[in-house]
This record gives sequence, C-alpha cells and structure tokens, in this order.
Amino acid sequence: MLRHIGLVRSIRTYRGHMPLPSALIALAALVAIAVIAGLLWRARDGRRRAGADAIDLTDLGVTSGRISLVQFSTETCARCPQVRRMLQGVAAAHTGVDHVDVDLTHRPDLARRHRVLSTPTTFLIGTDDTLIARFIGAPRRSDIESTLAELPALQEAS
Amino acid sequence: MTEPAPARGIDPRAPRFGAWITSVLLLVATFLGLTGIAAQSASFGWFAYQPLADATFTGSSWALPAASPGQRILDPAFLLTLVVALLFLWGVVSPTTHPWSTLFRRVVRPRLAPPTELEDPRPPRFAQGVGLFVVTLGLVLQLVGVPLAVPIATAAAFVAAFLNAAFGFCLGCQLYLLLQRAGVLGRGTRAA
Repeated sequence: MLRHIGLVRSIRTYRGHMPLPSALIALAALVAIAVIAGLLWRARDGRRRAGADAIDLTDLGVTSGRISLVQFSTETCARCPQVRRMLQGVAAAHTGVDHVDVDLTHRPDLARRHRVLSTPTTFLIGTDDTLIARFIGAPRRSDIESTLAELPALQEAS
Repeated sequence: MTEPAPARGIDPRAPRFGAWITSVLLLVATFLGLTGIAAQSASFGWFAYQPLADATFTGSSWALPAASPGQRILDPAFLLTLVVALLFLWGVVSPTTHPWSTLFRRVVRPRLAPPTELEDPRPPRFAQGVGLFVVTLGLVLQLVGVPLAVPIATAAAFVAAFLNAAFGFCLGCQLYLLLQRAGVLGRGTRAA
C-alpha cells in the first residue's frame, strides 16, 4: 500500500520521469522513421535486380527451352496472390512465356539454394536456362514487360 | 507446388483497417511507456520515497529494477500493452470474431464498394502472431525488471503495424523465410 502511495506521488510530482516534451519528440521521431522506412521500402520494392548466369532448375517445374517467370511464394505472403494474377496475365499475353508458382512454405531447401529471403520473389529464366533477372517484392508489370522485350527469343517468337 | 485455395477469403481491406487501430494503440502505449516507470530514472521519484522497498538494490540508474511486481504491472503502459497482446492473441486464435474485424464488417464495409477479390486469411494471422510475440517479450522483460523493454517492444510493433496500414507492408512476406532459414518454422518435407 505504501508503495502504491509512493508511485502515485512520484507520478504526480513527475520526478525521474521522462519530461513530456522529450517523450513527444521521441514519438514524432518514431513516426518519422516509420514513414521514411515505408517510402524507402516502396521505392526499392519489386525493382529489377541482376541475374546470375547459372541456375539449378531442379524442382522448380520449369520447362527447358521456354521463358519462365518463376514466382516464389509462401502461405503467409499477403502480396503473392496479386503478383500471381499479374504474372499469369503476362504469361497469357506472350506465347513462349510460362508462369510457375513455387510454394516455399515447406521447402527450406529451395529457399536456401536460390537465396530467397522474402516473398514475393520472381526469377526470369531464359530459353537457355539462365537466370536473366530477379525481382524482389511485387514487380511492376511494365518492368516485367520491358525485360521480356529485351529477350531475342521472345522477339523472334512474336 | 501451388498452395491449396483457402476455404474462405477475407476482405483485404479488413486487416489494413485493423492495423490502423493497432498502430494508434501501440503509439499510445509507447508514449505511456516513455513517460512511465519503464523509462524512469532511480535518482528521483518514488525510489526516494521508499527507502525500505528492496533496500538492498543499488547501482542501477533505472527505477524499474527496484520496483515491486505490483508497480511493474500497474504501470499504465504495461496494462495497455497487455490489452494489445490479448487483442493479438484474439487475432491468432479467432480472426473472424476479432473486435476490429467485427467493427469493419458492421460499420466500415457497408459504406465501401464490395471487395474486388478475397484474400487468404493466413498472412494477417501470421502477422498477429509476430505482434503477439514481440509485445509479450516486452511485457515479460518488464515483469523481470528490465527498463525500457515495454516502450521498445511497442515501438517495434508500431513500426510494423503502421507500415502495414500505410504502405501495405506484409510481415509474413518479409519474415517467414528468414524464420524458416533460422530453423524456427516451416521445416516439413525436405525432398532432394
């Protein structure tokens, strides 16, 4: 009981507590950091990254000799279904382009082999079975289309 | 390889609506944490009023290690964070009956156009679980007398909830594979 009286008294006198202006400045800084983090994340999200020539296509379900958009997803990925619909639309619009969805929820081996750390991640695989580009996050359809347009195989096909 | 279709989809705007309310609660909890006992220094304040309470304790510049369990629990920041933790738990156990979900269904959705598509309920549930883990960690650390644990935990949870509400950031997208790589979850069938 005495302790509670002491606690109440200390709150009233405000001694030892963080001063109100300092606390409000800390809160404003927290909100500012969150907004900046969100803007940076949005700016980086889904950008095209360089590929790596060689890729082990085991268990990815890719048809050799075709252009494939390999999308890595998990069950906890809220943004994957919208990317799946978009990539399926791209695949439907181009002959010679496949969309493959790989669920990594129970496949840590595949996530490790391809160094996928977040979902959605999309790999663009060329007709020569090389990794042409990676898109980490939700890619823009225009970025996918422009990358496809650079491929000689697709230009011949269409 | 494709995931099974969810039995019942949810309106994708419902979790974002809930994330706004959760962000506000977590920001208030962080404010209470910063101005409360978790961030209080020992040199002044109630410590001076209670020479008999845990008198053997010396050496810390913080008030919390010398506070009684009752003082650690009756801290307003602790109590509000406990409420947020229970709401996270509710979101994990029964997302469809969650208060924010109910509020969205009854009040917000009738004023909006019908959703263009329904989403899988598992990702927001995963995010609620992560939120539950983070704020519970803060509560437990405050109970054992670690200063600043509650405001740091609520600030971290605030950033995630705010990014979800304002930017569509998804914890399940960013964290699942990292936790899987760390061996925490999702081991399961390992072919090859």
